[in-house]
Amino acid sequence: MSAIPLTYYLVLSAFLLCSGLLMVLIKKNAVFVLLGIELMLNAANLNLVAFSKFNPNLDGQIFAVFSVVVAAAEAAIALAILLNIYKKFDSSDLDDLNTMEY
Amino acid sequence: MKMEIVDILFAFFGAMVVLPVIYMLITRNIIRAAFALVISLLGIAAIYVLLNAELMAVVQILIYAGGIIVLLIFGIMLTKRVSDEGVVSEHRNVILGGAIAAILLGLITWGIFQSGLVWEGEPNTVDQVRTIGISFMTDYLLSFEVIAFLLLVALVGASYLAKRSGNI
Repeated sequence: MSAIPLTYYLVLSAFLLCSGLLMVLIKKNAVFVLLGIELMLNAANLNLVAFSKFNPNLDGQIFAVFSVVVAAAEAAIALAILLNIYKKFDSSDLDDLNTMEY
Repeated sequence: MKMEIVDILFAFFGAMVVLPVIYMLITRNIIRAAFALVISLLGIAAIYVLLNAELMAVVQILIYAGGIIVLLIFGIMLTKRVSDEGVVSEHRNVILGGAIAAILLGLITWGIFQSGLVWEGEPNTVDQVRTIGISFMTDYLLSFEVIAFLLLVALVGASYLAKRSGNI
């Protein structure tokens, strides 16, 4: 039987969360920020699946499926907004977005 | 302590998750970062298999490694001119951001090892697809309908937003 304790999975998930946060904080390009957000969502999914391994109701996995759907919707909307920003400002660097006028 | 095959597998797939993420943090090339994310997501799918979650592994490969990555690469290609040299992105606030992320990682790791969480009982051996499908249609029916409607609204909204403005 699997001898790997639960804490290893949780530490891996914490690493993914902090890497995603760091990527959101230090990168200038908006696409990199979206990659970081995907990493953070994956960290949450990994936690949910790890906690539901010994649960016969599989509630954690069901919640993880919902989270994946929300992540897909988020990626689609965010890229559509990003395309509009690129058309308006001719750049996808976050430092160049300094006006709210449209 | 005897090394079992599952330990070696966990170490291998953990490295498969962690190393591309570190590469993504270092590199400034967006295309390379996107393909490194593919490897990392496949590693997470393998870890789901180690966690007895076959359905989530398939969902991860189909939706993340298949769908979201294609969307992100489309986003990169549409917002960068391939002719100029620029699929690179600069860094900023590296020291402050790194300090915040490192402190958060330290705190979470300390909390995890302090908590002493363990699994109890036996790992489930139920038929996962059947159990999850029945749950979707009974206990989680309202959530299922709401998430389906959310997905429809998001796709319609995304296609409307990405339309060329002016000829609405």
